[in-house]
Amino acid sequence: MNEEYAIEFRHVSKIYSLKSKDKKHNEDKRFYALKDINFKIKRGEVVGVLGTNGSGKSTMSVILAGISEVDEGEMIVNGEQALIAINLGLNNQLTGEENIELKGALLGLTKKQIQNIKSQVIEFSEIGDFLYQPVKKYSSGMKSRLGFSINLALNPEIFIVDEALSVGDKGFAQKCLDKMTELKDEGKTIVFISHSLQQVRDFCDTALWIEGGMLKDYGDVETICDQYAEYVDYYNRLSNEEKRRERDEKFDRRLLPKEDKGFFKKLFNH
Amino acid sequence: MFKSMRYVLQENFTNLFRIYSIAKYELLADMRDSKLGLFWNFANPVIQVLTYWFVFGLVWDRKAVHGIGYIFWMLGGMVVWFFISPCITNGCNAIYSKIGVITKMKFPVSVLPATVVLKELFNHLCLMLVLIIVFPLGGYYPNYHWLGIFYYLFCAIVFSISLSMTTSVLNMLARDTRKLVLACMRLLLYLTPILWDIERIPFKFLQYIMKANPIYYIVQGYRDCFFYHKGFWAYHNSMIAFWIITFILFAFGSYMMYKFKHKFIDMI
Repeated sequence: MNEEYAIEFRHVSKIYSLKSKDKKHNEDKRFYALKDINFKIKRGEVVGVLGTNGSGKSTMSVILAGISEVDEGEMIVNGEQALIAINLGLNNQLTGEENIELKGALLGLTKKQIQNIKSQVIEFSEIGDFLYQPVKKYSSGMKSRLGFSINLALNPEIFIVDEALSVGDKGFAQKCLDKMTELKDEGKTIVFISHSLQQVRDFCDTALWIEGGMLKDYGDVETICDQYAEYVDYYNRLSNEEKRRERDEKFDRRLLPKEDKGFFKKLFNH
Repeated sequence: MFKSMRYVLQENFTNLFRIYSIAKYELLADMRDSKLGLFWNFANPVIQVLTYWFVFGLVWDRKAVHGIGYIFWMLGGMVVWFFISPCITNGCNAIYSKIGVITKMKFPVSVLPATVVLKELFNHLCLMLVLIIVFPLGGYYPNYHWLGIFYYLFCAIVFSISLSMTTSVLNMLARDTRKLVLACMRLLLYLTPILWDIERIPFKFLQYIMKANPIYYIVQGYRDCFFYHKGFWAYHNSMIAFWIITFILFAFGSYMMYKFKHKFIDMI
């Protein structure tokens, strides 16, 4: 185990099974969401993860956060990691304050720790007097601000940020970005999953580009971003017919031979 | 097998505050959902009891059982059924209903059955309070025998958690489990001697099978504490059957829980 690295992926693959279109022929296909991915992220590095829709970014984030397990290969993480996503289940019936307490408890904090983060969350999320209102009365911006703030207060060593900075208005997004920069200066490792090329360029040191479930490139942020931008331009210029062919090709490369797994097999030979 | 049991027990005991918080806020959210809130926790069982009393007590004119008025006799057993029944049906859904949580963070999934049971425990305690007020009306005053209820309540909790542990995982593998459990609940109510006395069954052999039913052991235990005062040892055969069945359920449930702990997210 090398302590210099925060996260290491060794031949990591993640496989999902797909339902076949034709129900009579029960030939479920299996599909690589991620295929043979190798990389090492240094401690204190800020990495942007780029990729078009369906390339495996979200799968990557749940694996990085330790929520989902890899099917092949291994992932080594040195330190506590936490996923920061916009969409977290706040309970609509409960007030903002109760949601902070519930969320804190769900995340495994003690009573005392929850009291400690409370003021921080209230201040950062800027919800003011709405704290004592049920969350169902919140605007969607307020909801995501509250959710994001609770997650931020956790303070793990490794942050996995999934599209979170598209939260709220420009002002709040800037505030988040400032907070992230602060965390970066503290030497936290941050994996930043985003569609926004501009944010990645501004904020990250290195970038990681996954395409069609495979690692395309990993390196300096400017180079990768340029390549990625070029690819997106190239893809957009294609005619619809060519686009479809490219998509199908990518899809075929991710398919696996079928494997029969019934209910009882699922039960006993995992 | 023992490794998984130790894992589940450890996860549950190190997360007591988490379990408590989830149950507490879940209850709160439930109550806020309706205007009358806590009232429904009482109204629901009262309406059910009145229905059964009307059908069996009035229309079919069930006479007192062992000299105990039918309505009281039924209440004594019914009260714990009102605890176990929602534990079984909601426990089955324990993991599935928390998908929003387990897909968003690292979460000790095996505590979820306990949260469901704890939440229902609150409702049960409310009902017990009502019983303590109602029973003296029939001449059954609280005495030290009633303390035995704590033991039987403990049995009910352990049994519910063990069963939910199994059903909640099976429900993740195939959602049909919940449908099956829901369909079987009514059957279970009538098959368990809650609304009728076990001695009305003509065959001794059938009675033995009935007595091995873990739910009957708990129901009988509650009644014993309220009316019969025979003590724990009077039901030792049922007791042995109960703990064996509960242990098997718990062992199987924790084995499944342990095996699938990281797989739940892919089963949605």
